[in-house]
Amino acid sequence: MKRMIASIAAALALSIASADAQSYPTRPVTVIVPFAAGGPTDIVARIVSDYLSKTLGQQFIVENVAGAGGTTGTTRLTQATPDGYTLMMGHMGTHGAAPALYPNLKYDPTKDFEPIGLVAGTPIIIVARKDFPAANLQEFIARAKNTGEKLSQAHAGVGSVSFTTCTLLTAQLGVKHHRVVAYRGTGPALNDMVGGQVDYMCDQIVNLVEQIKGNAIKAYAIATEKRSPALPDVPTTKEAGLPDYQVSAWNALFAPKGTPKDILAKLNETYVKALDDEATRKRLLDLGSVLPDKAGRTPEALATLVKSEVARWAPILKTTPAQ
Amino acid sequence: MFDLIGNLGLGFATALSPMNLALCFLGCLVGTLIGVLPGVGPIATIAMLLPLTFKVDPTGALIMLAGIYYGAQYGGSTTAILVNIPGEATSVVTTLDGHQMARKGQAGIALGIAAIGSFFAGTVATLVIAAIGAPLTKLALLFGPAEYFGLMVLGLGLAIVLAHGSVLKAVIMVVFGLLLATVGTDLETGEERLTLGFSALSDGIDFAVLAMGVFGIAEILRNLDNPEARSVVKAAIGRLLPSMADLKRSFGPILRGTGLGAVLGILPGNGAVLAPFASYTLEKKLAKDPSRFGKGAIEGVAGPESANNAGAQTAFIPLLTLGIPPNAVMALMVGAMTIHGVIPGPQVMTKNPSLFWGMIASMWIGNLMLLVINLPLVGLWVRLLQVPYRMLFTIILLFCAIGIYSINNNPADVFFTAFFGGVGFVLIKLGLEPAPMLLGFVLGRLMEEKLRQALALSDGSFMTFVERPLSAVLLALALAVIVVAVLPSVRKSRDTVFTE
Amino acid sequence: MSSEKPTGSGAASLLLRQDFLGGLVVTAVAAIAYWLGSDLAVGTLGGMGPGLLPKVLSLLLGALGLLLLFGSLRDVGVRLTVGSLRGPIFVFGALIAFGLAVRPLGLVAAGPLAIIIGAFGSDEVKWVETIVSGLLTTLFCIVLFKLALGLPIPLAPWLLGY
Repeated sequence: MKRMIASIAAALALSIASADAQSYPTRPVTVIVPFAAGGPTDIVARIVSDYLSKTLGQQFIVENVAGAGGTTGTTRLTQATPDGYTLMMGHMGTHGAAPALYPNLKYDPTKDFEPIGLVAGTPIIIVARKDFPAANLQEFIARAKNTGEKLSQAHAGVGSVSFTTCTLLTAQLGVKHHRVVAYRGTGPALNDMVGGQVDYMCDQIVNLVEQIKGNAIKAYAIATEKRSPALPDVPTTKEAGLPDYQVSAWNALFAPKGTPKDILAKLNETYVKALDDEATRKRLLDLGSVLPDKAGRTPEALATLVKSEVARWAPILKTTPAQ
Repeated sequence: MFDLIGNLGLGFATALSPMNLALCFLGCLVGTLIGVLPGVGPIATIAMLLPLTFKVDPTGALIMLAGIYYGAQYGGSTTAILVNIPGEATSVVTTLDGHQMARKGQAGIALGIAAIGSFFAGTVATLVIAAIGAPLTKLALLFGPAEYFGLMVLGLGLAIVLAHGSVLKAVIMVVFGLLLATVGTDLETGEERLTLGFSALSDGIDFAVLAMGVFGIAEILRNLDNPEARSVVKAAIGRLLPSMADLKRSFGPILRGTGLGAVLGILPGNGAVLAPFASYTLEKKLAKDPSRFGKGAIEGVAGPESANNAGAQTAFIPLLTLGIPPNAVMALMVGAMTIHGVIPGPQVMTKNPSLFWGMIASMWIGNLMLLVINLPLVGLWVRLLQVPYRMLFTIILLFCAIGIYSINNNPADVFFTAFFGGVGFVLIKLGLEPAPMLLGFVLGRLMEEKLRQALALSDGSFMTFVERPLSAVLLALALAVIVVAVLPSVRKSRDTVFTE
Repeated sequence: MSSEKPTGSGAASLLLRQDFLGGLVVTAVAAIAYWLGSDLAVGTLGGMGPGLLPKVLSLLLGALGLLLLFGSLRDVGVRLTVGSLRGPIFVFGALIAFGLAVRPLGLVAAGPLAIIIGAFGSDEVKWVETIVSGLLTTLFCIVLFKLALGLPIPLAPWLLGY
């Protein structure tokens, strides 16, 4: 009881002190992750929060608010007090594809947030079962376009990264006759691909890298500008002859609309330091992530990215079986 | 053989380092203590404790996490026995006879036999993983969507056999569970189904919310409604540990449960969930007097608890050999490994042998520690039941609320738990058992998914289920089970088999 | 289970028969589910629509409910007992109060609130004991969940900001 009174008194004293950027943060900061603990976004958020806690001297606590493809947690952020004490790790889905996927979305990714910075992009790989009869991406594309043959595509559920990115692929190839098989998560989908039940899928490198290295599945191309150091033998889509297929699942820090400018500046400054910090950088790169260059680390760059992603996904996903 | 001994040697050398031993102990202890709080099931426990493991090195973190996993699961069984609140699907079966034993003053015996059965099953499962884990992976890969669908139908058959009242009511509850499983966003089209516009329902009904409602809250309401039922706290406590006769009687069930659990645990997509149900059904069918089941039969605790633990352990095989998580808990393990820079996959065994074998060795050590931690605690748990029920139930309520809230940090889940508590209360009043409903719910979601996958791959031809031999066998087996369950009631002689 | 065995066979009115009311409730739930799912596409076998399973299952559930209902016309079965509503009202009240209070007021308020409201569900409620147990249990939860495990559950946002 004594302890409680003491901590209440201490807290009162703190809340009287003004919360300007100089002293920010004076109490723990919540970082909403709109997915369950243990997923790729959660891991990125925990790595960055770890650095922010050490550097700014207050705990940055990850709060997993999963649900509705990440939109539950994102909606929660828009309802939070914009004082810099609630932030979130947004995602290609929550801040790019969501408006096209969820017609009743309660937020607008381009208007309801203060962008802080792009943290990392996770490249997308096109993979197939290991005995699929196509040696490279060109042969795969030829088979995929052949209407006499029905390939089967696995994805991890409507709204998942594997769904959106593979929908982009088939839209670019102009094929509509494939068997699309939905799974609940990457794990079961990958299981059936390793077992040879389905032909191909697209997903983030971190989910597939070890199965590719272990020859349990084969990779055709990685949808980035440069090859990934984790998989140096896998050609880029540019090299393999599908240059327009450039896509990655990105994670970025956002604050609610109306957060004080000086706090946002301090957060951006610290997050940039995190990306340059040797240990943090290594942990992110180990996941197969691609980190933004200097120009890509400003709030403006992130705002541009969100706008272009929302515009990019709208036409592709509106023609999915959902509509 | 030499390989096995050498590998296990490496494993034990890693797991027995003082640091790893301490982490294993800490994981088991904390997992047990949090998991035993009524309302805080294994999934909530692991979600709560996961961040703690991010602070240690990868091998240590995994050893600790595995300890938390067993501890939470064991703690969950303790709550199922003592207060009739299952923390996850697999301990639903434990409530059936375990709680009845507690009511008869045999809580200590039930807890003891669960600990001993779990330890035996854990030991066997560890050996299975170490010796034939890699080749067994091939078995898992034989299971495509069609085979999996067959297995789920077999599971539903078991759910009907499991019920001890009217077969018609059991079928009703299974179908109701299947219907509840369809709530939420459709996997293939993204359309919302039966959600009434609640965004908290768009990912479907959470298992913990449903189970805590229809079992936990409804159990409290039933006890408040019926003061004699609270006698669980007043009954004489009796022996704390199983006698030789108890052990003798449990030997067969433990052996069979371990076998069933070890096989089902390997299957992808959470086959382990079927293990306790299958074991319970098997024991009930083998028993000379099946009417004892549901009234405190020790076989009904020994078999399922062993099956549960064996399955929980062999579920690591697909994770360790393929890097594919078979259930939600294993997906959390993947996250924990990834954050430490160890991405699970087919190569972990060769690239990271000390981590791989260290973790396997620690599984056995963890099981031993659970026995060491839990047998002395049995007395303490049983004594907790002497807290007057008027206080105990409010404390359970608060833990439930905190546990449910912590899963998604969402108050809506607490409201839905209250709602399902009401549903459970009405069901009890109407004489409809919630256990078959929960199994229907758990299997329903997978079953629809697998059915649609199989039909998508076969262009809508149902022949795929018959043409694939494994799937045909499973479906024939399911049919046999259902016929056995339903026939007696058709012949109007069901009372001799399903005596209440 | 909680219901009594039938007393005088003809005495129970239809609605008080457990299986009659059970059949009625099950059939009604099935009808509501069918109605809620009526907009969903059924699809084809190759591409099953989202509506196929909900519709098939609710029809099956409805049929089974009717079977239960008609069965109870022949056979009186177990009689329904309603009992007191005191338990349900306060237990639901406690959970709802916790859910409403936890984010704006934090665990500091939601904990004792849940325990004190819940305690009234029992007919042997004692004031002092309840308040003491409410405060002590909440303190235990704060120490365990907040201090030891560092869960993101709010403690007292109106006072501490978290």
